[in-house]
Amino acid sequence: MRSSLLWRSSVRYLFTHPLLTGLSILGVALGVAVVVGIDLANVSSERAFRLSSSLVTGTATHQIVGAGNELDDTLYAELRVEYGFRKAAPVVEGYASYGGESEGTLQVLGVDLLAESSFRSFIGGAQSSLDLGQFMGPSSVGLLSEETALSLGIELGDTLKINISGIPHEVVLLDFVRGLSDLDKQAMSNLLVVDIGTAQRLFSGAGKLSRIDLIISPEEIDQGRLSSLENWLPSNVRLQKASSRGNALDQMTKAFTLNLQALSLLALVVGMFLIYNIMTFSVVQRAPTIGRFRALGVTQKEIYGTIISESLIIGVSGTVLGLLGGVMLGNGLVNLVSQTINDLYFVLEVRELTLAPFTLLKGAILGVGMTLVASLLPAREATTAATTTVLRRSSDETRMAAALPRLIWTSLGAAVVALLLLVVPGKSLILSYLALLLVLLSFALMTPPAVTLCTRWIRPVLGKMGGVVGKMAARGVETSLSRTGVAIAALMIAISSTIGVGVMVESFRGTVDQWLSYTLSADVYISPPSPVFRRNDATIIQDVERDIRALDGISGAYAVRTAQVQMNDFQNDLIIVDPRPGPTESYRFKEGDIASISERFASDNVVKISEPFSYRHDIHAGDTLQINTDNGRIPFEVAAVYFDYASDVGAVMISRNVYNRHFDDPFVSGIALVASPGTDIDNLIERVQQVVGGRQEVFIRSNRSLRQASLDVFDRTFTITQVLRLLAVLIAFVGVLSALMALQLERGKELAIMRANGLTPRQVWLYVTTQTGLMGLLAGLFAVPLGLILAYVLVFVINKRSFGWTLQMDYSPDVLLQAVVLAIIAALLAGIYPAMKMASANPVSALRED
Amino acid sequence: MSSLFRKVLYLSVLFMLGMLVAFFLRTPDVLREMENDSMPLSKAMKSDTTGYERATGPIDFSFPEDHGAHPTFKTEWWYYTGNVIGTDGRRFGFQLTFFRSALSPKAGIADDSRSDWISDQLYMAHFSMSDTENETFYAFERFSRGSLGLAGAEGVPYKIWLDDWSAEQVSDASYFPTRLIASEGDVSLDLVVDEGKPVVYQGDRGYDQKGDDPGNASYYYSFTRLPVDGTISIGKERFVVSGQAWKDHEWSTSALGEAEVGWDWFSLQLSDGRDLMVYSLRQNNGSESRHAVGMVHDENGTSRRLNVGEYTIETNANWTSPKSGITYPSRWTLSIPSESVELEITPRIPNQELNVTIQYWEGAVSVEGISNGSSVTGSGFVELTGYQPK
Repeated sequence: MRSSLLWRSSVRYLFTHPLLTGLSILGVALGVAVVVGIDLANVSSERAFRLSSSLVTGTATHQIVGAGNELDDTLYAELRVEYGFRKAAPVVEGYASYGGESEGTLQVLGVDLLAESSFRSFIGGAQSSLDLGQFMGPSSVGLLSEETALSLGIELGDTLKINISGIPHEVVLLDFVRGLSDLDKQAMSNLLVVDIGTAQRLFSGAGKLSRIDLIISPEEIDQGRLSSLENWLPSNVRLQKASSRGNALDQMTKAFTLNLQALSLLALVVGMFLIYNIMTFSVVQRAPTIGRFRALGVTQKEIYGTIISESLIIGVSGTVLGLLGGVMLGNGLVNLVSQTINDLYFVLEVRELTLAPFTLLKGAILGVGMTLVASLLPAREATTAATTTVLRRSSDETRMAAALPRLIWTSLGAAVVALLLLVVPGKSLILSYLALLLVLLSFALMTPPAVTLCTRWIRPVLGKMGGVVGKMAARGVETSLSRTGVAIAALMIAISSTIGVGVMVESFRGTVDQWLSYTLSADVYISPPSPVFRRNDATIIQDVERDIRALDGISGAYAVRTAQVQMNDFQNDLIIVDPRPGPTESYRFKEGDIASISERFASDNVVKISEPFSYRHDIHAGDTLQINTDNGRIPFEVAAVYFDYASDVGAVMISRNVYNRHFDDPFVSGIALVASPGTDIDNLIERVQQVVGGRQEVFIRSNRSLRQASLDVFDRTFTITQVLRLLAVLIAFVGVLSALMALQLERGKELAIMRANGLTPRQVWLYVTTQTGLMGLLAGLFAVPLGLILAYVLVFVINKRSFGWTLQMDYSPDVLLQAVVLAIIAALLAGIYPAMKMASANPVSALRED
Repeated sequence: MSSLFRKVLYLSVLFMLGMLVAFFLRTPDVLREMENDSMPLSKAMKSDTTGYERATGPIDFSFPEDHGAHPTFKTEWWYYTGNVIGTDGRRFGFQLTFFRSALSPKAGIADDSRSDWISDQLYMAHFSMSDTENETFYAFERFSRGSLGLAGAEGVPYKIWLDDWSAEQVSDASYFPTRLIASEGDVSLDLVVDEGKPVVYQGDRGYDQKGDDPGNASYYYSFTRLPVDGTISIGKERFVVSGQAWKDHEWSTSALGEAEVGWDWFSLQLSDGRDLMVYSLRQNNGSESRHAVGMVHDENGTSRRLNVGEYTIETNANWTSPKSGITYPSRWTLSIPSESVELEITPRIPNQELNVTIQYWEGAVSVEGISNGSSVTGSGFVELTGYQPK
């Protein structure tokens, strides 16, 4: 009976404050939505990647790969005919783009059907209707899943127009890949299966394979089959586990997805402050009621349970909404995530959002759990406080004042630990983020003392501006510090996270822009379209290259080629460049000396490595790098470490002469032209266009437009970060709105007394808005140093540990100013409703209950 | 301790723990299993025959070139079958056969400088081993395209191969001796086949008509008795063996008439030095085609063609494969009155069915009976094709 009364009072409370209840639910919902949305986007990308890579790998356990991107197909014949290894299947892989109604990238898989049956059942099995003669024949035909054909708008017998490295090809759809499971259909959504001969023709790789898939059972490995095969293989190829390739690709995106997750959790931090604030408010506001219930004999346990139940209602409704929102958000974010992966790492097509139950569960636990955790303390406080004290609001403030010194010390302690975590050398991202959280904590703890200090300074100023009311407003902030402190801290954390992320992105962009300006020192750049923007490994037709080099009006033509090469115990991009004459360098060195390197770089077995590569593998100037070449494994001296922001995976640079000595690969992926003095660049571009003609579709870009294109991609890859930043701002806004609103509503009686003492409604308006405005201002001001520290940690610690980049911290005051203005506006907006309510309220009714 | 202080501290610690837990809770990998299937290829072997060269009449064979492939014809095979005895007296039957099937009639035109893989020649090989003592039959199958050196058939020097299964001349000088190599799992053979009786041209000087239409014929020659020595391995056991082999080489385009569904083919080596080859073409109405023919090859090397009606094959028993459900004839009486031949033919073991892409029975048989009036024994191989499960 008693508890039902308690319960009714509790429900009544939630319903009589719909705005506050709604805002707290919204706060939880937004926090959960961001975490779930990001996680779903990540999981979906990873799943799409895993699905398609496991489909393409099939049941292969091992692979034979060449030193570079490919290996000779004669090795395959020798493997079967001479060595007698049968569970082997040749593979030629590549990417093709298609245009028309929809645009996209197809993964082209070239196989020998006769060797496939034990490897990729989706090709080998259930293909009895297939016309083998046609499939293996001289005309280009291919297989798609029925769903893919439908989405491409083609039917059996139709011609699919594709484009590979800027060269158009036509492939006739011979048949569907039939008998696919639903999972296979998803994985096959961008897969074109062709005969291995067709694939060689499409990718101009006569005599070349991408790899040879093998099946070697554990028993056979025990029998020594693996090691005897390894001994038999020539030294320029390598036998590796089939999973290692997928793992390597997965590894590439690890830092990227981890950082996204961390940013999404930041949103939840803000959400949590919000819940804590609101729950505390609800307890405090009902302190008299609770006191009366206690005086009437309601047990501590019952009150505790009621408060927890209230928070459960908020937590569960917020979480349910958050999960729904997360799924919607995930749908949008998955495109951004996969777009970024496509721009930076590898071709990935994510056709749909995977509603991973684990992610939803995680979101639910986080949402409900954090709401509960955030309300445990208010609930405890309501329960344990002596009945008489609960009735007295001022006790809170007395305790608060006493706690100030301790807050300062703890804050400093947290700062010291954070600092230690940051200076401890290592690559742990988790520790870095922990340090980041400690920094936030330190600032949050410091907020109440800082508020006290600031309001004392500001009071005379406000007094001059707004008279007594202004003074009172400032004093009010200080006297109810236990409430205002938390609200200001929440707003500060939200605002600072937007400053931190904003400054980080701006610094990054500035660094990249500057780097581009000295790296792009040629006038015209020619490259074929490549499926991954930052990894151009498409090749230019050799005749086209020759004709471009023969053009008039150029003083230099420097080719670049990107190849995937096995080095030490991993695979990495090798960038092959034509060395420029003289000691000029278009890259700046972190380690090594330009003058002493140039000559040796052009002729000796030396390489330069990019900064992320150096960081990732802990290899430095003077070290030796083992590279698998067509002549076997050869040691290369690392002569220099250069600054490079093109790839976070890192790159190794080698000169063309040296590369030619060790690799049989005459192709180039791009050419940079330096115009002779007096040559008109636009005219040069036109002449390049003419000489290339219709032979190959290539991008011909001036220095400026390539720089712009690079920055465009940069901006695109940071879109998701900006979206997260905006979401954090949104959550902060909701948080502040509810916190300040709660605070002012709590002060209903105080204001009523003021009104009764002669304060006009106008003055109430002024009082409330000045007070919230002041809080906004303080939060905004505190957020500036915190935001800069966050940016510092993000730029110099987290970026470094994630990607190995040295960035220059670079920001405009605009970002900071915006943040402060944002804080004030949010605070002022939050004050409008309470101000209106207070101003129009009848002081008599507000005071009547006493 | 102040309550606010406790609050903030408590909350922060809990919060951080929560964050750390959230970090480590990552979604487990998506794993999936794939089934393993074999690929039915029979369609590839039975498609349109227009545009291919046909066997339209007797020709002059030209050796050693004609030992190699004739890619303008749709179908071709090289059959090695034999019965061998180990030094310990254990008996084995073996078969190593290479099939060639053209996928398009433009043989050789498919060359493409941009890929060596393009091929219209499909190769299939069967390798079987009958272990009489253990009543075990092993059969294996392989496929490959006839390009990149993965599979092929060359006359000069003689080499027929698919992966590492091969029949290859041993010396540079001559077609014989020929070495046969095949292994799969722990079953393998390594045999050398030497020159024996001279070549026999089947049918009319090697032109073997199998249907009413003159094009429904093949070119077909045999070596009916070739001494064979070498080793056979099954599991961990290795046997030094010797015996007699039989080689057939036949090429054609559409060798069966419309109504013909399969054949029963017998190659027998008798103790009196005679070799017999007879076959009957079965029609879909159950009757025997009038094109079924045979050949008697005497000890001295002379041979005589047997016409339809000159011999009868009577089935005495049947055997049903537990695997395919197909019922095959399993004991026969072969009578050739004109040659005073009456032979009982018995499979050395009942189950010698090749359960591969094309299901058929091909196995070692023992022979007992009368030839030229005297009692003889012998061994041989029987091939039964075109039987369907009931």
